[in-house]
Amino acid sequence: MLVTKPVTELCALLIDELYGELPSRIFATLLSKGKSTLPQLALHTSMTPRQLRHGLAVLQQHNLLFYHLDAGAEFASYEANAEHAYNLVRIGKILEMIDSSFGAPAKDVMQNLLLSGQTRISDLVAAYQEKIEQANMAAALMGENGEVGSEANGVNGDSRPAKKAGPFVKSTAHLNSIICRLVEAELIDVVHPKTFESPADILKVVEKEVMDKYFPAGVKGNKAKVELQQRIAEGLRKVRGESKSLKRKLEQNGSAAKRRKLLAGLSGMTNGVHDDDMDPSLDPKQVIRINYEKCLVELRNRRLVQFATDMFSETTAYVYGVLLKLLTKDLPRCRPDPVMDIAEDEEENEKKGPGFVTTEQILDNLKTSVDLSLGIGKAEKRHISSSAAENIRQYPPEKKPKIEEAEVDGEASEDEDEDDEPSGEESDHDTDYKAPMMNGINGVNGTSGAKVKFDESAGPKEQRMDRPTQLRQHLLLLAESTQRFVRHCGPNEWTVDFPPLMNALREVELDSVIERTSGRQGLRLVRILRAKGKLDEKALPNVALMRKSELQQKMLEMQTAGFVDVQEVPRDVKADVKKSFFLWFCDVDRTLDRLLDTSYKTMVHCIQVLEALRQKEKDVLETTKRTDVRGREKDTMRKEYYERYSRFLECERRLFAQVARVDDLVSVLRDF
Amino acid sequence: MSGRGGRGGRGGRGGRGPPTNGRRSVAQNSVPWTMDSDIVLDGKPSERFPPYNIPKAAPLSKKEEKQVSYFLIFREQCQDSPLYTQARTWAQTSSTARTYGQEQLNKRYGQITKATVDPFTAVPTYSHKFQKTPRTLPNLGSRPFAKEFFPPELHATLDGDDEPSGPATKRRRVGPKTLGLSNITSYRTAEEVFLREGQQPPLDGGANLDKALQLLNTLEKRNEDGDEEAFLSGGDDDDWVKNNGEDDEDAEAEEDDQYEDDEDDDYNAEAYFDGNQDDEDYDEGGDDGGDYF
Repeated sequence: MLVTKPVTELCALLIDELYGELPSRIFATLLSKGKSTLPQLALHTSMTPRQLRHGLAVLQQHNLLFYHLDAGAEFASYEANAEHAYNLVRIGKILEMIDSSFGAPAKDVMQNLLLSGQTRISDLVAAYQEKIEQANMAAALMGENGEVGSEANGVNGDSRPAKKAGPFVKSTAHLNSIICRLVEAELIDVVHPKTFESPADILKVVEKEVMDKYFPAGVKGNKAKVELQQRIAEGLRKVRGESKSLKRKLEQNGSAAKRRKLLAGLSGMTNGVHDDDMDPSLDPKQVIRINYEKCLVELRNRRLVQFATDMFSETTAYVYGVLLKLLTKDLPRCRPDPVMDIAEDEEENEKKGPGFVTTEQILDNLKTSVDLSLGIGKAEKRHISSSAAENIRQYPPEKKPKIEEAEVDGEASEDEDEDDEPSGEESDHDTDYKAPMMNGINGVNGTSGAKVKFDESAGPKEQRMDRPTQLRQHLLLLAESTQRFVRHCGPNEWTVDFPPLMNALREVELDSVIERTSGRQGLRLVRILRAKGKLDEKALPNVALMRKSELQQKMLEMQTAGFVDVQEVPRDVKADVKKSFFLWFCDVDRTLDRLLDTSYKTMVHCIQVLEALRQKEKDVLETTKRTDVRGREKDTMRKEYYERYSRFLECERRLFAQVARVDDLVSVLRDF
Repeated sequence: MSGRGGRGGRGGRGGRGPPTNGRRSVAQNSVPWTMDSDIVLDGKPSERFPPYNIPKAAPLSKKEEKQVSYFLIFREQCQDSPLYTQARTWAQTSSTARTYGQEQLNKRYGQITKATVDPFTAVPTYSHKFQKTPRTLPNLGSRPFAKEFFPPELHATLDGDDEPSGPATKRRRVGPKTLGLSNITSYRTAEEVFLREGQQPPLDGGANLDKALQLLNTLEKRNEDGDEEAFLSGGDDDDWVKNNGEDDEDAEAEEDDQYEDDEDDDYNAEAYFDGNQDDEDYDEGGDDGGDYF
């Protein structure tokens, strides 16, 4: 992550919002001044050391710092962890994601974990213990004067906010099981002594170790250099792997799914309570914290499902969601680390990428309530080139220029549901790949008999397809799209090539931004430029079929916005303006970078507007902070004041929603 | 001559002569009213704020709604936690919006002090007892930390022993430190207090009022039974800091600390006055200063 000025401001504002002014000030100084020790910070911020110590402790507790302590040094040097600070903006999304995929109790646990920063498991358990006891006490009290309560409830439905507060987590065993599940999903990882070394420091240490151990005489020659790189990568991976120690320990006892199965085998039906007891108790000494990297993987899956919903139908997107979930179960991060993972790839080339998922696996994980027949069109058999549709691409596509992917964007609409159009297009350039035939599928995969039958039977008779066939249709649909949602990497095996897919998604995002700022015509012009490369100013009107004046105005408008640019190529030495060429072009990468920067600024502005609003409504907000008013605003405040207050709350919601939306864009552009 | 002259017939606009010449000749010949004598000129100045189509964000989807509320609840909880520092020292009314260099930036802070207090609201009144004293430093002593992951220079701070006046006035804490869980379960827009979670607030205020009245009725009944606290989930603010009932005082002490300039002072005027706590007549807890040793 490139820490630019808007990012610095954004991080400081976010920390200010969540943790207060003191940590925010220190964080901003750390970002702008770089690595600093306590005395240096005191110099920069002109705060007392005591204030600084408190602020640093808070930041450190919330995982927002790296620090490094040289042996024998008096002061540690601190460094800001801008990535974690930025991720604060995503907390709402992360919690929502956990809520929907792990349930409300897990969300509650995660929220408390986020709230308290890195936490020892025993402390967390104790805190929950206390809360559960409180809830039980409250419940007992409720029971005693239950008559009053029931009377009130009879009229009132449910007017007990206190009731729902407690029992998200029912017992410490329940808590334990939740933590286990989150650890297995890698959403929580373990804090180890090297966690808070900055990446640069870790690299330095590992480099030194490797040099001392393997190359005491220095590195000579290319071969040794390669080996050095590999050793360093190995060392770094080892350090990184330490945070997964808890997960490994859990896996030794068999994963949660396995345990559940085992239990199901033993006692027939299972229920939640039994489940909890089966989970091994965690080492109470361990310190855990949230793993943002994995959270981002989950968020990316959701974004891709959203993308698939836009392109196809809900059902197809659902299938895609299941596939992604299976595929990314062991994917630790969205983007591989340049130092660590590239060397890994060279070592074990076959393990590259996220692996694959078979059709059966997807089928097993689909909910039976989902009707797979929705969202697939029916085409006559003669329209379908089954060989092209079933084509297997064993290797990921080579790097194509981005232009080609975006160029055909327009036709990626719902009419692709009729298989004829894409398959016709596919067969053009895929005819030489005919090797994997039907019997290949049969041979490898015993159960696929039904699927092969489809090609013969689903013809004019319009027979109802069975479930696996329907699933297969959805997958083929995904595989055939121009965005390459899925790659059919072997008979009944599916995988996703994330980098090209994310590029496609980025293009789509960029296109929608262009369309919003310069209209359909602007978007059309940009697409023409992407397809044709650089175009002379004089040639452009002919290609675009637009009037010259209109076109020039539009192009200038887009140039100001940064979507296109012009290059001047003189024809002779004098560089006469009349004679030189003016070439319009669009540089996608540059535009994306610029877009990213603008997004940061937008987010900063949103939060600043909020601050301004707070100043404006200061008197109202101060009133609402009073303990006798809090929670009873409507009764205690005058009407006019109350209206101002609720208007402010509405604005606040909208502003944060806007920030969240812009963050969606940022994550697509930067993190996914 | 190059083709640059363009309309050479009317005095050569971009030609060799001084530019004023060219402009005058244009003004004489080609302004609209010389060419078209019937023209009615619109002499009005252009509108200062011409109508502008403001792009409006789409309304929130259900999912976004949920995400935002989760974020806001999280923020509420954060601001309620002992690690949050409420105090703002940044004066909004600073004259320049731009700062040059760290020094000017630093000067923006520390503007809100005892010296800049508003004399009209600073006079103690009854309603002040409902106001929370803003903390200027996080209350680190109240909760446990995994100290091995902090640099050693912060360890004393984490224990809450980082007092400026040295260990002599060190406060003894009783009881084990516990990690409190926030009791805030909803981001309270005022409607939400009276409505169940997930239920949309009705558009008319009538139903709301009914509910409120009912709630008040039950509240009164409950009050007689004496467990108001359990009933109203929010309201009590010291569930974070369990076993030390010195909440108010803590905040106060820390507030004072902020205004101290030097670390080791042999004449501590504030301590002198705060020592005998007689002026704390509006203090709720009625502390007797028993925490000092």
